[in-house]
Amino acid sequence: MVGVFDNEFDLVKAFEKVKAKGVKVDEVYTPYPIHEILEGMGKKTRITHAAFFYGLFGALTVLGGMYYAAVISWPLNFGGKPFNTFPSFIVVTIVATILIVTITTLFTFSARAQIFPGKAAKIVHPGATDDKFVMVLKSGEAGFEAGEIEQILKDSGASEIIK
Amino acid sequence: MYKTSIRGKLIQGDKSLSKISQDILAPIDAKTPRWWYIAMTISMAMFGWGIYCKYVTISTGIGTWGVNNTVGWGWAIINFVWWIGIGHAGTAFSIFLLILRQKWRTAINRAAEAMTVVAVGCAGLFPLLHMGRPWLFFFIFPYPNTRGPLWVNFNSPLFWDFVAISAYLLISASFWYFGMVPDFATIRDTTKSKIKKAVYGFFAFGWTGSSREWLRFEALSFVLGGIAAVLVVSVHSIVSTDFAVSVEPGWHTTIFPPYFVVGAIFSGFAMVLTLVTLMRKLYNMTDFITDSHVDAVCRILIFISLIMGTAYLTEIFMAWYSGSQYEMFTFFQNRITGDYAFQFWAMFTCNALIPQLFWFKAVRSRLWIVFIISIFINIGMWYERFNIVITSLTKNYLPANWATYSPSIIEIGFFVGTLGMFSVGVLLFFRYIPMIAVSEVKSISKFNEEIEPKEHH
Repeated sequence: MVGVFDNEFDLVKAFEKVKAKGVKVDEVYTPYPIHEILEGMGKKTRITHAAFFYGLFGALTVLGGMYYAAVISWPLNFGGKPFNTFPSFIVVTIVATILIVTITTLFTFSARAQIFPGKAAKIVHPGATDDKFVMVLKSGEAGFEAGEIEQILKDSGASEIIK
Repeated sequence: MYKTSIRGKLIQGDKSLSKISQDILAPIDAKTPRWWYIAMTISMAMFGWGIYCKYVTISTGIGTWGVNNTVGWGWAIINFVWWIGIGHAGTAFSIFLLILRQKWRTAINRAAEAMTVVAVGCAGLFPLLHMGRPWLFFFIFPYPNTRGPLWVNFNSPLFWDFVAISAYLLISASFWYFGMVPDFATIRDTTKSKIKKAVYGFFAFGWTGSSREWLRFEALSFVLGGIAAVLVVSVHSIVSTDFAVSVEPGWHTTIFPPYFVVGAIFSGFAMVLTLVTLMRKLYNMTDFITDSHVDAVCRILIFISLIMGTAYLTEIFMAWYSGSQYEMFTFFQNRITGDYAFQFWAMFTCNALIPQLFWFKAVRSRLWIVFIISIFINIGMWYERFNIVITSLTKNYLPANWATYSPSIIEIGFFVGTLGMFSVGVLLFFRYIPMIAVSEVKSISKFNEEIEPKEHH
């Protein structure tokens, strides 16, 4: 069952009522992120944690690479300075780490959210990227009673209900 | 909570969500206006001349430029720093205002980011061709090679610069692109044209607006925004170390990194103002880019202008206070007075004095005056880079080395070419890409209503 709403407030109201009934909402499609929904769906993303580890890995790789090149592989004497000029390695480490984090996080996002070039969109309701707020419920879920759910959606102000 | 009664409406004209999409996406579906073709032709001509000058530079060599042994950095480096500075606005706008939770940024950030990508692209060409043998530019990558292996000098700001600029280009381009994915999906789902549906559908990467997508999208913006904020400060600091770690009089000062970063944000914001006033007029985006948006940017510019003025005076004071005769000579006889006094005073007037007119509401509320002042700031910032590069190099420690510098027609053409490249990029952006972030504007439209969202019926 698909409930289509005209604004986020009605959607959130219906969403919370359906959840209070103990029915799991399959997916919600909205034109912009709505925090009540993102929290209410109960999904967690670990992209931020992943990014931290990419950063750690990137920083060590870059710093290690520079140390290897400047100290082990081919030490060059720049005006009598030490081979391991640690402070001046930091500049490149910061910038290159940011680059590594950006690219790896983008790929992680692409893989986890399944957003990639050439993917055909599975459109539930064409208005979901324009001005409609769409809630999808699966009839097989526990506690799902079609009549009751339909009444909730209607009461909350759904403009359209597709069965 | 954003209080409309205090701060004014973010979007004018009580628009429904679908009206927002329609209004912003209208130029993409509309017939291309005639002025667009005229502007495109002029830009392409400029771009073409630039390509010819690049051809001459590559085929004949740097000897076709006006640079000499004393003044090794001419227009190429001036223009490089100028473009990079302009390129700072996108990140500064999106990221700083995102972190500060400024809701009014949503109408402007897309244009600022587009400008960043094109400007950094223009900037990158200058050091590339200044290398003299651009086909060997990959020597600057630290890769295991057959020449030793001979590694690059990791202590050199020129290498830092290379890393910073290429990272900045890649990061700002991806930040910009991923911000557009939901809007491309909106075009895909609202357009009637089959070709547009297919093309924008491809670029939308299968976006549907589901909660799992938005959840990760938010996390991605958070991560990219957080780390790119560091870049705003670091990239131009690194550019400034190109100057500051050398021992030229007028360059070897600790003020340089903050001075360059603030200057970059100044010129970037001025260019943003130039662009959004054009966008507002040409595409009638008055409801989204409201008077209060223009007003806010003008107020920021007053503040930055005061910092610039302070920086100029600090430099002059430190030259005197240092007691170094070379510093004294550079500032007092070769900048404030002397052969390049015009460039110094043009810089000072355009950057430190003219923007002070923004104190007056009458100035801030007249779009054409705002537009003219924003152009003045852009010119002033160009003169600042001229001032830094040329005055220090022409007359340094040994009078026997002194030389004058004036650009050759090839150098001028190269610069005009990048101006053309920039406006080609901007025109394509106006025509084919939603110039305001549709989904972000929609997310703030609820703040137009006085009632708290919870009480909505």
